[in-house]
Amino acid sequence: MTGHPLSFRKRGRLSFRAKRGISFILALSCLLTLAAVAQNSSQLRFCLRTEPKTFDPLLVDDESSLAIRYLTGGVLTRVDRHTQELTPELAESWKVTPDGKQINFKLRHDVHFSDGTAFSADDVAFTMKRLMDPTLHSPVGDEFRAAGNAVITKVIAPDQVSITFPGPIVGIDRIFDELVIVSAHSLKKEAAVLGPFMVAEYKAGSSVLLERNPNYWKKDSQGRRLPYLDSIHLDIQSNRDVEMLRFKRGELDLINVIDTDYFDRLASSSPQLVHDAGPSLDSDFLWFNQVAAASIPEYKRAWFRSANFRRAVSEALNREDIARIVYNGHAQPAVGPVSPANRFWFNSTLKPEPHNPQASLDRLKADGFHMQNGTLVDKSGNPVEFSIVTNAGSKPRERMGVLIQEDLGKIGMKVNLVTLDFPSLIERISQKFNYEAALLGFHNVSLDPTDQMNIWMSSAENHAWNPQQKSPETAWEAEIDKLMRAQAETSDAKKRKQSFDRVQEIVYEQAPFIYLVNLNALSAVSTSVAGANPGILFPQTFWNAERLTLTGTATAKR
Amino acid sequence: MLVRKIVGHLASIAALVLLGGLLSATLVRLAPGFDTDERELDPSLSAESLRAIRAERASQHNILRFYATYLRGAAHGDLGTSQALGQPVGNLLRERWPVTLRIAGVGLLLGWLLASTLAFTACLWQRPPGEVLGTALSGAFLCIPAAVLALASVIFNSPGYLAIALIVFPKIYRYSRNLLAKAYAMPHITAARARGLGELRILARHALPVAGPQMIALAGVTISIALGAAIPVESLCGLPGIGQLAWQAALSRDLPLLVNLTVLVTLVTLLANSGADVMNYVLRPPEA
Repeated sequence: MTGHPLSFRKRGRLSFRAKRGISFILALSCLLTLAAVAQNSSQLRFCLRTEPKTFDPLLVDDESSLAIRYLTGGVLTRVDRHTQELTPELAESWKVTPDGKQINFKLRHDVHFSDGTAFSADDVAFTMKRLMDPTLHSPVGDEFRAAGNAVITKVIAPDQVSITFPGPIVGIDRIFDELVIVSAHSLKKEAAVLGPFMVAEYKAGSSVLLERNPNYWKKDSQGRRLPYLDSIHLDIQSNRDVEMLRFKRGELDLINVIDTDYFDRLASSSPQLVHDAGPSLDSDFLWFNQVAAASIPEYKRAWFRSANFRRAVSEALNREDIARIVYNGHAQPAVGPVSPANRFWFNSTLKPEPHNPQASLDRLKADGFHMQNGTLVDKSGNPVEFSIVTNAGSKPRERMGVLIQEDLGKIGMKVNLVTLDFPSLIERISQKFNYEAALLGFHNVSLDPTDQMNIWMSSAENHAWNPQQKSPETAWEAEIDKLMRAQAETSDAKKRKQSFDRVQEIVYEQAPFIYLVNLNALSAVSTSVAGANPGILFPQTFWNAERLTLTGTATAKR
Repeated sequence: MLVRKIVGHLASIAALVLLGGLLSATLVRLAPGFDTDERELDPSLSAESLRAIRAERASQHNILRFYATYLRGAAHGDLGTSQALGQPVGNLLRERWPVTLRIAGVGLLLGWLLASTLAFTACLWQRPPGEVLGTALSGAFLCIPAAVLALASVIFNSPGYLAIALIVFPKIYRYSRNLLAKAYAMPHITAARARGLGELRILARHALPVAGPQMIALAGVTISIALGAAIPVESLCGLPGIGQLAWQAALSRDLPLLVNLTVLVTLVTLLANSGADVMNYVLRPPEA
């Protein structure tokens, strides 16, 4: 009985050799498991909703490319996605001249690109030169060109660079949050990055694999080089059902933005996985076509151009209902162009338009509208009927359209909802103007109102209700133009805030856009992801990707 | 004669492919929303950037000029650049084609295997259960839309080719079963049975030679059915193949990509059908 190490003694006790053998096997299997865990646990997986259109950080204009840029690119300054404050990144410090035309950066030392080449002021100058190249048509560059093309970048020392603009640029330091520094000296420029991860593999239509940048400059408080994760696997998946299924199966670690229906379904079974960070910067809104040349009857154009009519529609809408029914309570009645989530720029004196059908009818009476057999008619006897176009395939918008129909039906207006695919919708609202009203959403990624110049200036192309006006057609649009210019021409934050507060007040009074709700930032994060702190600014769940870790338990699931 | 037939087929394929490409380009050009780009709604873009975006599309306003330029480029191996994805179309097709080839190919094989097994069993067995099973299954799958089968494939985490197999199966079964039934009703089969020939022998020697040519033609047709089915299956299952690409291209009115995809699918369909025709000709040359 003693011959075999795993044999039992007569009284059922293990021999010393057997115990030692079992202990050895157990220890070995533990080590192997740990090794396996260590090997697999540090790959974060989530989905991109569309194919990234570019890997060139200066040409990024879509959300998937933006996510990759955020994870791979190094910037001089970064807007902290949690505090909304500006923090130093590759620039150790910076100073803006009082006239707001020049910014001087002091750069960090001992920073290297992922390919090992050293980072210096030359790289900043090279990036600026490429950015300002008019043939590149960089969407990022448009912000830097706000005061003109003649931007001068001067390398003062390897760690000092000054950038001079032809005119004052508001929030000059904040715009560098979007400018990823590219290498001037690397042989393979596109492969050399300063961010926490680098693109290792791209399978068109399928996935993007990001690997840890071994030269990333940031270290944690213990001196350990970040990021903690070894890699990030981004699956290209446009189908949200599939994304949700895969998340439930444990194949994905997070869903950056989750729809309310999925959110509630997940919350009912696994509340620990979902996060509602409160109102985001995104909003849904309605507007009427006020274009003079639009092919709509003259009497309808007169309705749409009447502030009373627009305000009456606004008052007749029950925003609380929209938030409750369409978004299951994961939205807040909107006030105006700035969400309350935008702490600095939100005009807190304004409150959402209260639902008041009687006040709405009173307002309409002032314009000569009256009820006739349950139908609202104008002073010429034309029944109030119009159509609202919106994008097909968006369940929330379709539901919202139905609620708008119901609310406006209560004051005698007949509303027809028309859903169109996106290109057709864009054509109608921005080129042919053959629509009466439109219901859309604004996906805002920037906090600063200067980024909304192309919406509020009457001459702008995105001045949706009546674009490209040669001169402002109304006094209030002229005032908005003046205020927007004023806020863009000074670097005094207080004065800028005053101007933009007034813009918000005019928009509230005139209702060119009838703001409905601000959506909450909803996300889902697996319990295996440690360090996640979902916020409202893009990228909601992985803004601190370099500090995220994965626990072993989730690895076992994978 | 065979060479003449092949040359005739190739000539008509070339003509139809060219015509198909032009028709596709014209339809896309006339589609609402053709001349738009989602980026036009981006308020951060300056007027110059918007003008540059519009200028990109300006070269496509005259469809005949666009098509002539496209054909010139294609003759030199340049299939143009996708507007929506910003990548050379040639690269996109090279990367995506193998995925579709695999799922459509395996799906077709499985569909044919299932359909022909059931059809042959029904004919050989000549008993109601076999017939009922085949008819019920094919009827059920014929009623289910391709998108629902694709969605089921997502829910049950099954491979995409299974959905394609189930989409093509009822069409193959119904048609082949009818062909075999017609063949079995012919007098020479009755005579063969009267002589005491085994069912397998009757199938192999007497029924299949009658139904075979039309089944070969059916094989050609099912290739285009499988390619069509690949669009919902790949789109819903998130498979990066030609079907998914076609869906994305249609949604974004991506003219260069759509024209190339039409040309490719037309080419494959016509080659398959012509291949079936030539094969029939080789197997059963017309009597002089």
